[in-house]
Amino acid sequence: MLKYLFAKNEDIPAGSAAVFWGFSAIVWFVIGTGLGSFNAAKLAFPDFVTGNEFFAFGHMRQVHVHAVIFGWISMAFGMAMMYITPALGNTKLWSEKLGLWNALMWNIGLSLGLVLLWAGVSSGREYSDFPWPIDLYIVVFMAVPLCINVWMTVINRRTQGIYTTNWFFASAVFMVSIVFLTGNLPEFFHLTGLTEAYLTWWFAHNVLGLWITPVAAAIAYYTIPKVTGNPLYSHRIGHLHFWSVVVFYSTPAAHHLMSAPLPEWLKSFASVEGVLILVPAIAFVSNILLTMSGKWYMFVENLEVRFTITGVLMAIPLNMQGGFQQTRAINWYIHGTGWIVAHAHLALLGFSTFLEAAAVYLGLQMILKRKLYSLTLGNMHFWMLLIGFTTYWVSMTIAGLIQGAGKIYEVPYIDVVIAEHPYMIARWLGGTMVFVGNVLWLYNMWMTARQGTVVPEGRMPHELAYER
Amino acid sequence: MALNFDKPLYSLSTPVENKADQATWEGESLGGITEDNNRLPIPVVWLLLLTVLTAFAITFPLWGQRPNAGLYVDYVKAMNTPEIMAIQDDKAAMAKIIDITKGEISKHVTRMDYEGLLARHPLSMDDLRIIKPQIEALMSAGKDPEEYNVVGDLVVLANFEGNLKADGKIENRERKQPWWDKGYTIDIFYVIMFFIGVTIVIKCLPPSTWQPKHHH
Repeated sequence: MLKYLFAKNEDIPAGSAAVFWGFSAIVWFVIGTGLGSFNAAKLAFPDFVTGNEFFAFGHMRQVHVHAVIFGWISMAFGMAMMYITPALGNTKLWSEKLGLWNALMWNIGLSLGLVLLWAGVSSGREYSDFPWPIDLYIVVFMAVPLCINVWMTVINRRTQGIYTTNWFFASAVFMVSIVFLTGNLPEFFHLTGLTEAYLTWWFAHNVLGLWITPVAAAIAYYTIPKVTGNPLYSHRIGHLHFWSVVVFYSTPAAHHLMSAPLPEWLKSFASVEGVLILVPAIAFVSNILLTMSGKWYMFVENLEVRFTITGVLMAIPLNMQGGFQQTRAINWYIHGTGWIVAHAHLALLGFSTFLEAAAVYLGLQMILKRKLYSLTLGNMHFWMLLIGFTTYWVSMTIAGLIQGAGKIYEVPYIDVVIAEHPYMIARWLGGTMVFVGNVLWLYNMWMTARQGTVVPEGRMPHELAYER
Repeated sequence: MALNFDKPLYSLSTPVENKADQATWEGESLGGITEDNNRLPIPVVWLLLLTVLTAFAITFPLWGQRPNAGLYVDYVKAMNTPEIMAIQDDKAAMAKIIDITKGEISKHVTRMDYEGLLARHPLSMDDLRIIKPQIEALMSAGKDPEEYNVVGDLVVLANFEGNLKADGKIENRERKQPWWDKGYTIDIFYVIMFFIGVTIVIKCLPPSTWQPKHHH
């Protein structure tokens, strides 16, 4: 892959950049979930690895969070954009070379940022923990090149129309740069107090709302029609989904600060908008599930469809939680508890991860023209991810409710810690299962590239029977 | 592209534009993917309507609000009566206070749902003993207790900053949080503009009675 970095663009095989992004994403997923498993072990077993500050929870937590968000999720997005954007425009990626360099710079920047976080060099702002020079690096060397490549590919398409997926891709790569530049203003200009708090959560909310959620949904708009062969149920509902994401998802940042002394009207406004994120969710879920009409057997038989539909189904509890947990009546109970941690994992490890995994499975097989090496390993990966995640989510939700009760009824903190201990162990078990599943996935995709059955031109990988 | 208002609920595009769109729609392959032109199913329309109504109904500040000190003024006054002072048991004393103040509080508290608020923020006699001197201090200073919140063991100025009071002083704002504030007013405008905008976008497409014939 690296040999193409200095080759002429026209000499680089189509899909090279996507493969680089895809394998990088899987490696980061293994690293990120490995760190998560390690961190969970520290919460389940307080005597596990003590005495070295670099392995303290306070150093390790944000490394896990950023490895997963900007390594796994964002690089899987990059992979999806590298092969889906040109495919939908019946064209080539504008620049494979830029795509390769972009992936390299992404890996370098992320590694540098994570080393700094690990060393304790942090902005101290949750989700935007990277120090400001890394934030600027992310915009200039990571987000903007991706934006240019996607936009130029869309502009140079050979179709008159632009398919729904590419609306989301093109707008999300633009918006994520704005989110980084605006959300990190407190670091660039040393803004403090409420301004800092608000912009911190404006950033955190919009990284989820204008980057992760829309791009993950865009992937489903491609995967399901592509693999099932069904037309997308409704172009019209796609419009409703797209515009409601832009309008309702970009505005509710203040609902993360319902107990802060922000203007009450702003909190009221944000809280209503927070419930209205159900509008894009309803549009998205109904559009994808109706597209499955007549092809539901593929939910059982096809790995990519199973991953995608599982992710889409998770959007239902995700948005029900997200919509209502921020209201004043519920927020006072669950704010600052493990419930929120469970919800965040439902968004990132549930909903979006399942959609991205499908895109990476499908994309690597299509680009490499190799059928998946082992369906058994693929199935094991799916079930370990699903069971591991569900164990994590349920246990942390229960732990969060215990913490909420402890908070409201002023139960001594140590009693709450003891009460939630079994759920911390369950969390570690679930997280570790996810990590092991991802190691299997990396092996499976590596073997797919080396020994997978060759897929003839014009055929989809799932149309071929296994020869082994 | 000009909007055509001949049949606004059917399509905002002209028949010529619709023909052109339909030809493109049917003739073009987007990487092997095709799209249908179905309308939003009616049950989903109702679900969206329910969502919008719920969004406003569930987020009223009434829910999850801190109690204002005005709710407890009559409790504090009742504590000084010989009838209450004679009761040795705290639980019995608290029950008696609630009993004798029932129906009285509405005369002092302007918000509508004072009974609901009291039910959601019950106090013990120990709680009352802690906030009693603070509420009495407010009353003797001529302050409006409804402008103060009870936060744990403290009675503090409410963090809600509403409209300017009649004296017009910038530091003297309305502190009583209404059940409806301007955040909701902005939201109504925002939601209406969204649905108008997205309806125009969707109605510019060929009507949903037309479905493309896919050839691949």
